[in-house]
Amino acid sequence: MGKIEAKNIIKYFQHDGKPLKAIGGVNLTVDDGEFVCIVGPSGCGKSTFLRILAGLEKPDDGEVLLDGKKLVNTGPDRIMVFQEGALFPWLTVEDNVEYGLKVAGIPENERHDISKRYLDMMQLSQFANSYTYQLSTGMKQRVAIARALVMDPDVLLMDEPFAALDSQTRDLLLVEMQMIWQKTKKTIIFVTHNVPEAAVLGSRVAVFSHRPSVVKKSLDIDYKRPRVAEDENLGKFEKQILAALRHQGPK
Amino acid sequence: MKANLLGKKIGFYVLIIIVWQGIDSAEIWPDNIFPSPIEVGEDLLYGISDGSLFYGIGTSMWRLVIGLSIAIGGGMLLGIFMARVETVNQTIGSLVLGLQSIPSVAWVPLAILWFGLSDSGIIFVTAIGAIFAVTINTYTGVKNIDPSFIEAARNMGAKGGQLVTTILIPAAFPYMISGFKQGWAFAWRGVIGAELLFSFLGLGFLLNVGRQLNDVSQVIAMMLVIMGIGILIDGFVFKKLEDKVMTKWGLR
Repeated sequence: MGKIEAKNIIKYFQHDGKPLKAIGGVNLTVDDGEFVCIVGPSGCGKSTFLRILAGLEKPDDGEVLLDGKKLVNTGPDRIMVFQEGALFPWLTVEDNVEYGLKVAGIPENERHDISKRYLDMMQLSQFANSYTYQLSTGMKQRVAIARALVMDPDVLLMDEPFAALDSQTRDLLLVEMQMIWQKTKKTIIFVTHNVPEAAVLGSRVAVFSHRPSVVKKSLDIDYKRPRVAEDENLGKFEKQILAALRHQGPK
Repeated sequence: MKANLLGKKIGFYVLIIIVWQGIDSAEIWPDNIFPSPIEVGEDLLYGISDGSLFYGIGTSMWRLVIGLSIAIGGGMLLGIFMARVETVNQTIGSLVLGLQSIPSVAWVPLAILWFGLSDSGIIFVTAIGAIFAVTINTYTGVKNIDPSFIEAARNMGAKGGQLVTTILIPAAFPYMISGFKQGWAFAWRGVIGAELLFSFLGLGFLLNVGRQLNDVSQVIAMMLVIMGIGILIDGFVFKKLEDKVMTKWGLR
């Protein structure tokens, strides 16, 4: 199961030595198996919010519940895919993917079976013994996704993972991401500043306001999958997202 | 290209020996001040034939390996603690910087008082001369780890000792290698210096014996051996290790 609830999350940043309210009481409930994209203006704290969900940062107020249980620390029930991948350069692709399993003490042959399945799924099998510096940015993100999936988390948290990719690679991964979601039925929370990306991926899009941010609008994207970025029918959803982003009111 | 480089090097050293022999043949200085390369070579051969040279090298290397191992183990531990625990850095960290400025031979009198004329005393000098270079490089390495490596690992369930062995040490390893390399250089100077002053076996001792016997060719022969071992260990152990790590980590 993977129903995650954020209740009245408040977070201050230190700005020139003074506290600055970045997140001003975000409430967001994401049901098990939902694919929610979070968009918002830059600096609205959407990445920080994701890090709070992951347990990598503590909110100044509010709480995060996973299936009704209050979360305190970070843990493999919510795996984060970082913007730059955060792959370990001293490990091969296979060892990177198996890292979390090894930490959990899973025996070697069992680890190999699991990692092989996800390396195949992400079309990485032939790179299993490569080091990460030998891979393109797109390949690296595939490894990062595989490394997250092997942990079989309840929730997958993705922090602008495709921001550094060229548009061709991104389009490919947008389609694959939808197939992964349909195949694994994971709860996914995906932060992006790219509106078409949010419309392609999300079953729902949560629009954050300017800081101190709150969830300004929650839009269901009710449209058949797999979606592709150039589908004109997605245009109306993109317009709704853009309109919600624009109607911010005074800062 | 490689053969060309080797040719240049060999040519250079052959030239040095020819010039050296030339100066000796000109008889500007007496032989007990300026020996010929042949005399130095004879001394080396003599040392090899009676085994004293190998015994000296073996003794010095054994002390070096023990001292450097202690320095590497202790330096890594201290460096990691300094990088991860702010209080340790603020207290012990400032002391480490001070201690690093003490040349290793300056520890010799203390080592003699504490340990007497023993192997332990020389090993102590070797280790203490090298430990702070390892500490400081480890500290810098751990401080420079991409924070997302640590976060990703914690997120996947790593904690405590697991985090140290699977993330902190490998991620900081390129820096640590520099620390080992510096540490080895300090340790080598330390062990020879200590052996000179302790005058208790080893290459430094043989060097000192040469001085006491007024045998200048023995002194030069031992200096050449000390240099030769330095070049070998630098080039074959540390250079190779560094190249391997840098390539594997994708840093070159």
